[in-house]
Amino acid sequence: MTAIAPEVIEMPRPLARAQGGDHDAFAEIIERHEAMVFSLAYRFFNDRGRAEEIAQDVFLQLYRHLPMIESDSHLLFWLRQVTTRRCIDLTRRARLKPVRLEDVSELRVVDRHADPLLDRRLRQLIEELPEMQRAIVTLRYQEDLDPSEICRIVNMPVNTVKSHLHRALQSLRRRLGEQP
Amino acid sequence: MNLENDLKRALRRQSPPAGFASRVMEKVDAENDVAPGFSRAKGGLKRAPTWWRAAAASFTLAALLGGFVTHRVVERRRGERAREELLRALSIAAEKVSYAQQEVRGIGSR
Repeated sequence: MTAIAPEVIEMPRPLARAQGGDHDAFAEIIERHEAMVFSLAYRFFNDRGRAEEIAQDVFLQLYRHLPMIESDSHLLFWLRQVTTRRCIDLTRRARLKPVRLEDVSELRVVDRHADPLLDRRLRQLIEELPEMQRAIVTLRYQEDLDPSEICRIVNMPVNTVKSHLHRALQSLRRRLGEQP
Repeated sequence: MNLENDLKRALRRQSPPAGFASRVMEKVDAENDVAPGFSRAKGGLKRAPTWWRAAAASFTLAALLGGFVTHRVVERRRGERAREELLRALSIAAEKVSYAQQEVRGIGSR
């Protein structure tokens, strides 16, 4: 006796639907990745308004480039790369003075293991890192990417990425008063 | 203290302000009101290719030149027609003057 498997109707993925002109599917893509794009920009400028502006531009650029996106993983890579490069470019071009953390209102998820003072201090120290180190630290610890993945995003040899990361951690440890 | 764990916690992702996706979609909709030089592409907006814009420019230029040449030809034909009418009018007038002269001479000889 053979069992009849129920027929599975697979919905096309949001990317494929968005590429077919489905606006709701594109909104779904935004909702899925907005926190990642927004947070990358927010780490750079510590300004929620500016981070939103950059994130909006990145998604608008994504809309224009939708036909060139090949897969979900390509989409994720593209968003990380475009956001990071845009933030680095904007920092280098304008040499913007970042907004001090004291001036920023921030929505935080309550974590009972978190030490709010330490988190604040760490974000403050990250904000003071050179832009490339800041980008690499954010991609490493916010996005949980390996140096081999980060090097493709920032377009650098993997050893250079490792070296930037090492220097950034050394600097953070030193400034936090912890010996490496 | 483990710095790497602390960094992961401090750098957790944060959500953008509420309504973010709607605001992006508003911009997307605004872009869909197709601007000159852009065409609606599958799933997105794509700038019209350079060759297409060059062809459009050539077509416009050819249409303008064609219009100009046609205008010149029509003007010339109108001028020629006016000249012919003037010559015909002069010829008729000359005939009438000649006829009048003959009449005057006839009266004089009588």
